[in-house]
Amino acid sequence: MPGASMISESWLWAGWAAAAAPFAAFGLILFLLRKRPGAAAAVSLAAVAISMVCALYLLICCVDTEVPLRSAVTWMISGDTVISAGIHLDGLSLLMLAVVCGICLLVQVYSLGYMAGDPGFARYFAFMSLFAGAMIFLVLAPTVVQLYIFWELVGLSSYLLIGFWFEKFSASRAGKKAFVMTRLGDVAFLAGLLLLLVRGGVMDIAALNSGAAGLSSGMITVSAVLIFGGVIGKSAQFPLMTWLPDAMEGPTPVSALLHSATMVAAGVFLVARLFPFFSQSDAAMVFLLAVGTVSMLMSATMAMVSRDIKQVWAYSTISQLGFMLMALAAGGYFAGVFHLVTHAGFKALLFLCAGMLIHALHSNDMFAVGQGGARGLKIPMLCMAVGAAALAGIWPFSGFASKEAVLATLANLENPAWLIAGLAGVFLTAYYTFRLVFILVFPAGQGQTRAKDPARGVGYAYNAMAWPVLLLAFATLVAGFLAAPVRHWLAVGGPAHEAVHGPAWLAPLSLGLVFAAIALAWAEFGRKNASRSGFVERVPVVAQLFARRWYLDDIWGWAVSRLLDRGAAEACRQSDNRVIDGFVHSLAGAAVASGRMLARGHRVMIQARLMIMFAVVFGLTCIMLIWG
Amino acid sequence: MIVPYTHVILLAALLFWAGMICTVLRRNLIMLLLGLEIMLNAAAVAFVGAGLHLQQIEGQAVALFILAVAAAEVSVGLALIVCIYRQTGTLDPECIESDACELE
Repeated sequence: MPGASMISESWLWAGWAAAAAPFAAFGLILFLLRKRPGAAAAVSLAAVAISMVCALYLLICCVDTEVPLRSAVTWMISGDTVISAGIHLDGLSLLMLAVVCGICLLVQVYSLGYMAGDPGFARYFAFMSLFAGAMIFLVLAPTVVQLYIFWELVGLSSYLLIGFWFEKFSASRAGKKAFVMTRLGDVAFLAGLLLLLVRGGVMDIAALNSGAAGLSSGMITVSAVLIFGGVIGKSAQFPLMTWLPDAMEGPTPVSALLHSATMVAAGVFLVARLFPFFSQSDAAMVFLLAVGTVSMLMSATMAMVSRDIKQVWAYSTISQLGFMLMALAAGGYFAGVFHLVTHAGFKALLFLCAGMLIHALHSNDMFAVGQGGARGLKIPMLCMAVGAAALAGIWPFSGFASKEAVLATLANLENPAWLIAGLAGVFLTAYYTFRLVFILVFPAGQGQTRAKDPARGVGYAYNAMAWPVLLLAFATLVAGFLAAPVRHWLAVGGPAHEAVHGPAWLAPLSLGLVFAAIALAWAEFGRKNASRSGFVERVPVVAQLFARRWYLDDIWGWAVSRLLDRGAAEACRQSDNRVIDGFVHSLAGAAVASGRMLARGHRVMIQARLMIMFAVVFGLTCIMLIWG
Repeated sequence: MIVPYTHVILLAALLFWAGMICTVLRRNLIMLLLGLEIMLNAAAVAFVGAGLHLQQIEGQAVALFILAVAAAEVSVGLALIVCIYRQTGTLDPECIESDACELE
């Protein structure tokens, strides 16, 4: 049908445009517009707006298609293995495309206000474009190799953005930490990919998902667990989780982007992308379930004692990502992806609100911000309350719908321990979320609230920040009701799945837990004569354990200093000194010694040798005279 | 030719022998150079004699070349010897760059 092919061609063009526009903006800003911040921001915003329009167009059009569309060129041929590069449009990739573009667009508009006057304004927008472009190509990737390449590019651009204020030592260190820790997981990911390539010879995502590789089940388990290593690094899961809380050293809009739609979402997206492949191996899925559960509970406890607003949200990101991985590992494809989408919305909202408060009150500490008059800033406080309600999972906010889907999936597992862990996570999430909200809204010394700054709450920067926040708050309100269309979209070219219904008592139980947690937080931080210290802080040992992140950083530091610095590096140094240098030195020594020996021959006894020479010449002459 | 050719060649051989002995046996760099000069001149004598004997002028021409080469060689050689003396403080060819003489 020529008509149909023409339509699908226009869709592919839209896909290519969505992917290429941010990259074009990145190049343009980097090479031409570095000295012109206004133009740079305009180019970057225009590019991501183009991507957004294309994404929405595709999302609306592609609902009716049955077969996933793809446009790919052969990139590499080696023997029987053909690796192609291009774009692959199906329900999952288009849904993620729309989420990524939407969050990027809103965050960039917000950055106009937040980053105004920064000397690196143009550079900032160049990196933002690179970030967006890399993530868009990642979600559209048709092969695992392309996904891996852009996966690394996402890591690179997040490193650049976390260390954006590189003159600050802590920022450059946080950037390095994020880069190195995610790279640690990526080594496992690459090993898994190579294993797939060598054993199966198939890199195509669709082929892997349909089981065309013909791998044995043991091989699938090994490669899946190795690929999960990459997911653990990227999505900051146990034990590589500690880079994410440090990553807030970057500008707040970067954190918003990083925590919602781009960087950490890539890990969960990978699991969803290869979901049918992974579900062939039960052992790998149980591994993932355990990792997700441990990360979720661990980071939730860390969030309970943190005093830094952004750090609380960072811990909650780890916790929610663990929740998504639990859902996917339990077989809830829809639940995991839907939670990813709603989480992207409300987590971006929470970070952007936190950014507004930090921008206005110049502090990250929640007690200082509360006393500085956070409740006077109506828009960020109200929107943050909306985001917090969504994070805690209160009806009708978006988090409720997706969290119920996840819990329903967990409830269908045979082992009730997973569901109990999930419910504990729900309780802790609601507790630390509303602890933060109550501290901000009801600061300890209410009488001493500082006199209001007349310039606060108005102006260009405030408006540029307020609009994206309001839009996101609106999205958080309505996204919970989009479960049915999301389910429909995901069915396009995605794995077959059925709606999962948990038992009837599940929703009231989880809501009850949420309200119990909120009541606990109110009793400790909200009411008039509250002690303003959590129940955890009454046990100093446990509080210390949570505040030090379960000593994970110390364990990593010990491992690095012991194994890398003193072990591997020392061994390398010794081998360099003894073996390599020793070989070269002995070679040079032998050359010098033989030179000395040869020199002895020509430096002395000139006359003796002259005599011999004369004798020889004389002898030769005689011989020639006699026999010649 | 008044002097017989054989005598000329004999003279050249004697001169060459004397120069060779001087070069090989004397333990002084200047004398060594002198021996070389004597050997060169012996060759020149032989050339001149042969040129006369064979009635060819090239023999004398080569003798002139030898004179020029000898002059150049002496100047370079003496300069080198002066340098060597300044550096080592000795003109004994056996002692230069070796520890043989310092033991005495």
